[in-house]
Amino acid sequence: MTSKELIKFTPLKSDNTQDVLSAVRALSPWAEGEASSIRGNMAQMREAVLAIDPTAYGRTRNHLDGAVTQLSPFIRHGALTLDEVRNVAIEKVGPKEAEKFVQQLTWRDYWQRLYEKYPERIWHDVEDYKTGFGPNDYADQMPDDILSAQTGTACINQFLEQLLETGWIHNHVRLYLAAYICHWRRVKWQVGARFFLTHLLDGDPASNNLSWQWVASTFSHKPYFFNLDNVSKYSGPDINTKFNANKEIAGSYEALSERLFPYMEPKR
Amino acid sequence: MSTLIWLHEDALRGDHPVFKAAGEGAEAVFIWDDAYFKSEGYSFKRLVFIYELLAALDITCLQGETAQVLDSYAKGRDIYVPETPNPHFKAIISELRNSHNVTAVPDVPLVIVPDDVDLRRFFRFWNKAKKSALSPSVGPLL
Repeated sequence: MTSKELIKFTPLKSDNTQDVLSAVRALSPWAEGEASSIRGNMAQMREAVLAIDPTAYGRTRNHLDGAVTQLSPFIRHGALTLDEVRNVAIEKVGPKEAEKFVQQLTWRDYWQRLYEKYPERIWHDVEDYKTGFGPNDYADQMPDDILSAQTGTACINQFLEQLLETGWIHNHVRLYLAAYICHWRRVKWQVGARFFLTHLLDGDPASNNLSWQWVASTFSHKPYFFNLDNVSKYSGPDINTKFNANKEIAGSYEALSERLFPYMEPKR
Repeated sequence: MSTLIWLHEDALRGDHPVFKAAGEGAEAVFIWDDAYFKSEGYSFKRLVFIYELLAALDITCLQGETAQVLDSYAKGRDIYVPETPNPHFKAIISELRNSHNVTAVPDVPLVIVPDDVDLRRFFRFWNKAKKSALSPSVGPLL
C-alpha cells in the first residue's frame, strides 16, 4: 500500500448533529445503534470540570441522582486526565474534604495498573467463583429479554434502557445490572462485560471487566448482590421500585442469598 | 521529515506529554480502524463520541488497519506514542520497532508509588497511594 492509497479524512467541527452523525455513518456503516445524547463536546467537558463538587459527591455519590460528574467517557479516552480532575477537586475544597472523590479517581488508576501488569486477567477469572457454582454453571449467551430490556423486573428494564440509549449509567446501576445478569440470570461475567463495553461510552477493559469480576466474586471474597430495598433507598421517584413489578429482586439479603447461592459455603 | 505522533483512542487530547516529547512540527495521526472497533464491540454511540473528540484536535485521520497504515504512512520516521496498557496497541508498537524508532511517552500520573506496590486488592493500593493522590500534581514525568 502506498501513502497515495491511504484514506484520509478531516472530522467535521460542526454544531450540526445530523452532519456529524452522517459523517460517522459514512465512515463505519457497520456500527449498530443510534448516537447518545452525551457528546464528545470539549466545551461541555470544561463546564463539567468547573462544576465538580467533591463535597456533595462525598455525601451523595451512591444515590442515582447524586452529584457525580459524568466525566468518565472523557477520562476513558484521555481527553481529560485524572491529574487535572484531582487538582480541581483539591483546589476547590482541600484534600481532606476531597478524599472520597479522589479515592474514586484512584480506582481507575488502580485498574489501569492491573491491566498493564496482568493483561490476561481482563478476560480470565482472576480467582475461583465463591458462589458455590463453577464457570460452567454460567451461560455463554446473553438472554434476549436482557438485550431488549424486557425482563420481568421493572427497575432492571429501566436501567437497561438507559444504558442502551445513552451509553452512561451511574456506578451503582452498573453494580445492580452486573449482579442481576451474573447472579439472578447466571450468565458468565465475560458476556456481561462485553455487553457493557459495547454500550458504555466510558467502557474500558480494565475498569469494566475487573469490576465485573468483583461482582461475580472471581476478584473478591464474596459475590456482590443487592435487593429491592437497596434500589429503593438510592433511586429517585423516576425508577419503578414497586414490589409487584420487581418480585424477583425483593427479599432480605439472607433469603436472596439462599435462593441465589444455594451451594455457597457459609462463612466461618 | 517531521516526526510522527500516533495518537490512539486512549489519549485523545492535544496537550498529552507526547506532543512535547515529539517536538515542534511533529505530525499527529489517528487511525480510524474499523476492524479494531469491531473487535472491541463498539456501537455507533462510541464511534460518534470518539469522532467528536478527534474534531477538537489538529490531527490527520487515516482510515484502515492500524499497523499497516502506520507502517506505510510513517515511512521510517521516528514515532512517538502515548503509553498504554492496551495489549493490541503494545503489540503494534513492538512490531513498529522493527523498522522505526518508537518512543512511548507516559501521561501525567495521578499518583507516584513504588513499582512493586501491592495490587492484590484496591484498599492495599489506596493505603500506599493516598498521600500522593491527595497531594498537588507532580506534572509530566518526561
